[in-house]
Amino acid sequence: MAASSEEVLLVVKKVRQKKQDGTLYLMAERIAWGPEGKDRFTVSHLYADIRCQKISPDGKAKIQLQLVLHTGESTTFHFANENSALRDRDAAKDLLQQLLPKFKKKANKELEEKNRMLQEDPVLFQLYKDLVVSQVISAEEFWANRLSMNSVNHSTSNNKQEVGISAAFLADIRPQTDGCNGLRYNLTSDIIESIFRTYPAVKQKYAENVPHNLTEKEFWTRFFQSHYFHRDRISTGLQDLFSECAKQDEKGLKSMVGQGVKNPLVDLQSLEDKALDEGYGTAATPSTSNSNRTVKENSNSAIIKRFNHHSAMVLAAGLHVEVVLQTSGWFSFHDLGDWYFPVGAIEYEDLQQEDGLKTVSLNLKKSDRYSHGPVPIQTQHYTTSQDIINSVILVQHEMANYKPCLTQVMSSTMASSAIVALSPGGVLMQAGTQQAINQMVPSEVQSELKHLYTAAGELLRHFWSCFPVNTPFLEEKVVKMRSNLERFQLTKLHPFQEKVQRQYFSTNLTGHLEEMLQTAYNKFHAWQTRRMMRKT
Amino acid sequence: MASEDEVSLLVVVVDVNPIWWGQQAQREPEFTLSKCLDSVMVMGNSHLVMNRTNKLAIIASHCQESHFLYPSKHWKAGDAAGDDAVSSSRDGKYEVLAVTNDQISEEVRNLMARTEVKGHQTDTLLAGSLAKALCSGQEMKSRILVIKAAEDCALQYMNFMNVIFAAQKNSIVIDACVLATDSGLLQQACDITGGLYLKIPQKSALAQYLLWVFLPDANQRSQLVLPPPVHVDYRAACFCHRNLIEIGYVCSVCLSIFCNFSPICTTCETAFKIPLPQMVKPKKKKLKPAT
Repeated sequence: MAASSEEVLLVVKKVRQKKQDGTLYLMAERIAWGPEGKDRFTVSHLYADIRCQKISPDGKAKIQLQLVLHTGESTTFHFANENSALRDRDAAKDLLQQLLPKFKKKANKELEEKNRMLQEDPVLFQLYKDLVVSQVISAEEFWANRLSMNSVNHSTSNNKQEVGISAAFLADIRPQTDGCNGLRYNLTSDIIESIFRTYPAVKQKYAENVPHNLTEKEFWTRFFQSHYFHRDRISTGLQDLFSECAKQDEKGLKSMVGQGVKNPLVDLQSLEDKALDEGYGTAATPSTSNSNRTVKENSNSAIIKRFNHHSAMVLAAGLHVEVVLQTSGWFSFHDLGDWYFPVGAIEYEDLQQEDGLKTVSLNLKKSDRYSHGPVPIQTQHYTTSQDIINSVILVQHEMANYKPCLTQVMSSTMASSAIVALSPGGVLMQAGTQQAINQMVPSEVQSELKHLYTAAGELLRHFWSCFPVNTPFLEEKVVKMRSNLERFQLTKLHPFQEKVQRQYFSTNLTGHLEEMLQTAYNKFHAWQTRRMMRKT
Repeated sequence: MASEDEVSLLVVVVDVNPIWWGQQAQREPEFTLSKCLDSVMVMGNSHLVMNRTNKLAIIASHCQESHFLYPSKHWKAGDAAGDDAVSSSRDGKYEVLAVTNDQISEEVRNLMARTEVKGHQTDTLLAGSLAKALCSGQEMKSRILVIKAAEDCALQYMNFMNVIFAAQKNSIVIDACVLATDSGLLQQACDITGGLYLKIPQKSALAQYLLWVFLPDANQRSQLVLPPPVHVDYRAACFCHRNLIEIGYVCSVCLSIFCNFSPICTTCETAFKIPLPQMVKPKKKKLKPAT
């Protein structure tokens, strides 16, 4: 029967399947049906396998629910209870409607991920075609490495983009006069969301009071009426829903002031949607000297305080940093990095403490080695100093009477032999007759060769990564990879080589590939013989 | 077609190492320094004649100095009273060529006359000559042709490479015409700057090779069938034996190259620990029970 840990969400009696009476059970992860009187389920489908459900139209006599699986099969349930068939069927359908989407995403997500990866990367797609479609290796092996690599990257990018908060959202509410002595405030859900994100205290109050104590309309009416919302906010004597919020705001402001200014130049770049957390401080500290303040000064400072607090809350909400309720660790000054803002505007090197960065100095004992070029030390002609002197004297004699004789620079035989040497086919022109291979072979053949190299590289990578063979899993894999390599050589490499040899001359395009494969075979053979010897 | 006003400079660096040329005169008396200089002059004249705006410079690369044979600083235009000047203008030559040839021969004579024999300075100062050549070709499109006789000097390697890269940066092509032994440094220079390297089989036909291969400039070469580029050996030499190696060990601290592994780098004295591969203990064989 059902596993004891499974939670049964719905039981529907008198459901017929394939002309048999039975009971339909909807569990947390699957739907199952068992015939009347028997203990076990004959039909059981995981929600993940179900592609969609269909119901019979309302007018029909038979009330049915059909489940279509991903594989194409379908199962039909006939609700046969005389009184409550329709209700049963609808209850089952509603529950399925809620459950199926949750499971559907998980199954499809992987497929979607794979499809996306194949579409984005043409090289990967080609590799897939070469290896999996032609059955050189199986699809699971192909995806084994890749999915784990990429799932980490993409989980972050799948997050919904957070929408920022307009700083003027409160002002945008713009009350309109109602004719008589009242004001109309138009609240959209966007504004409500902004208020909640900026003032988490208000959100808390909302959660506490709505819908038990107040309706939403009443809550907002009170909000706008309260002095919390108004400019001056001095008279906190009134017992107000929001007086607590005011007190919390004061506390928050004081804590912000206490933590000081870390980044006086607001780092606007950090407001992009990055996943980094950045510390942020308020722009200016309002003066909070408590002595001798007139009423007017009090109200001015209160407004300023509220503006600052408001700005701070808006920015904090944009940065996902809880300012009021947490004392999160602020990043130290140096962590922000010098390039975020001009260092010269904020700090003076001389006034700071010395950063004792210990460096290791390079200590070269024989630095003249670098200046010697790659000219190998050849056995030099040993010239005696007498030789040198003689040579120099000879040259000096010769050049003392030097007069250019340009009409007899060389004989014609010399000249013609030089021309012969320089003509195509001559002594000096031999290397040029060899055309570069890439000019002889057309580009389709070249691209096919590239694909072969990519595929072979992938297979060889799997093969070589098995060594050293420590676990039985690796042993199996090594054997499998060797057979894969052989299959690759047979199905892909040999036909290609034959085609090339038939059409083009004796260019050996696949020599290197064969060499690589042969090395792999040799290694496998060596490993196998060693294993045999160890076993005996 | 290049515009008529474009100035194109050809700098010829001639290796006039007196020790090598003296030995050469003993080996092959029919091809001596005079013949070599004659061939260079023929080529220089041809270059000047190809285009009115072409310019020429010739540097002699000696073991004591690098000296500009042309244009010469010491030439005085009014020195036409000498016998040499009269004789050269008498044959009806284009006067620019006559003046050029005279300057070159005069300078060479003076250069060789003031050669002093010093035992430890036997290598051609090629890097310095190339550097001078680079400096002279700053304001205009220029190329350098090196005519090399003696062997490479390993001590000039660093300067040589710097010169090569400077030439590459300034789009100055370096060509090389090698008379005797192949020069790895010049092969690299030609490969990096896009020039032509040629080791000629017959020294006596030097003029022909110069005119055929090296007279056309870089733009015209694409339309001619010229000797194909040589395969350049770019292998590094190990610091311990100076062997050219393909695979070696490099110290990660000082980047010196060795052919064998040693736990301490001899240049910077850094100690390296390399984990040895795990030794697999052989399994004890179980004694089979005798049946």
